[in-house]
Amino acid sequence: MPRVNTFKVKVQTGRQGMTEPVHFNFNNHKLPFENVSGSAVAGEVFAGSFDVNSFAHSLTLVGPESGKWEIEKITVEYDCENEKPYTVNFGAVTLDETTEVNIWQDPPIVTFAV
Amino acid sequence: MNLIKSFFAGRKQEATPKLMTADEVEKNTAGEVSQSNTAPPSPSSSPPPPPVTVTTTPSSPSPNFPAVRRVLNIPTIAENVSPKVSDEVSIKAQPSPTGDQCLFAVNRTLMKGHSWYFSDFESATESSLAEALFCLDGVETVLVCESTVTVTRKDKTLVDWVPLAKQVGAGIRDALGTGKNLIAAAIVSKLPAEEEIREAIQKVIDTEVNPGVAGHGGNISLLAVKGNSVTIQMGGGCQGCSAADLTLKQGIHTSFRKAVPMVGAIFDETDHAAGLNPYFS
Repeated sequence: MPRVNTFKVKVQTGRQGMTEPVHFNFNNHKLPFENVSGSAVAGEVFAGSFDVNSFAHSLTLVGPESGKWEIEKITVEYDCENEKPYTVNFGAVTLDETTEVNIWQDPPIVTFAV
Repeated sequence: MNLIKSFFAGRKQEATPKLMTADEVEKNTAGEVSQSNTAPPSPSSSPPPPPVTVTTTPSSPSPNFPAVRRVLNIPTIAENVSPKVSDEVSIKAQPSPTGDQCLFAVNRTLMKGHSWYFSDFESATESSLAEALFCLDGVETVLVCESTVTVTRKDKTLVDWVPLAKQVGAGIRDALGTGKNLIAAAIVSKLPAEEEIREAIQKVIDTEVNPGVAGHGGNISLLAVKGNSVTIQMGGGCQGCSAADLTLKQGIHTSFRKAVPMVGAIFDETDHAAGLNPYFS
């Protein structure tokens, strides 16, 4: 598992949004995002980041405490130690008070043409 | 103690990411992986897919702990893994994380519907592809599966695959250019039926493999047989164990190939980060 320097998240909300602060779970520690812009209301894009500087075991986006959060797309940019920055796009998912969604993806395996 | 067990049991991953086939990729464009300096995703992958949710039952939350949430996993789609179809032979090398193997994805079908494992030069007789690769210094074994070739090298201490990979790429091109049988006709004509492979592999699992790993609380199950390729899953103490790779390559592979010589590729679909007591979680 790599050491994560920072990660940035962009969440495109669908038809049903929420007004609660957006939280993530890093290694089972629930934290709010930093450098927040936008919102998680319907049709809006929420953006946030966090300077982690720790090794990633798990990373999830936490659902709202009440109601549902209909997400159309999640884009995560990872900046890990000794790795080229990489981006992962996740698709649609609906979160609620009982769920969180995994947004951790290991760095892609290096391939080269021969 | 039971409360603690209940809490941690609830934190487990509820589902494993699904490896998607090309057809599934087209149907479900749930996400895509791309290097930051690569071209943006093609327009065909832009329409949002239907929500992907996992509906497994969570464990009962304890009154003394915060509510336990289920972790949902959304499939992601890796782009540029397989070379595109074109007139020109395209080969991409992908070294394994452990460094002992390298997978070569070719934009040509090398062995349709089946796979074959070449353990040494003698086994490559009349198979022009394997013959070409065994002529290279350092190649230990060759596995041909559909449009991929997996090469294991003798020197396990080397990390850099680039020099040998370039030679392997040239060898694959040479073999494709000769027009000879990539896989010997004698091998292709003797390939057994799936059911025959399934029964034989299941027998090995039941009589040899599982009794062996049971001492460590582990178990192996046969998930699927396609052609002569088999897919297994590790469970119990094997799932997430730091020695799982060793068990797979030196124990399971050896047992399978010894008892069922016609078996080709052996895939392990275990998610070693999931489960009730995973090593890596």
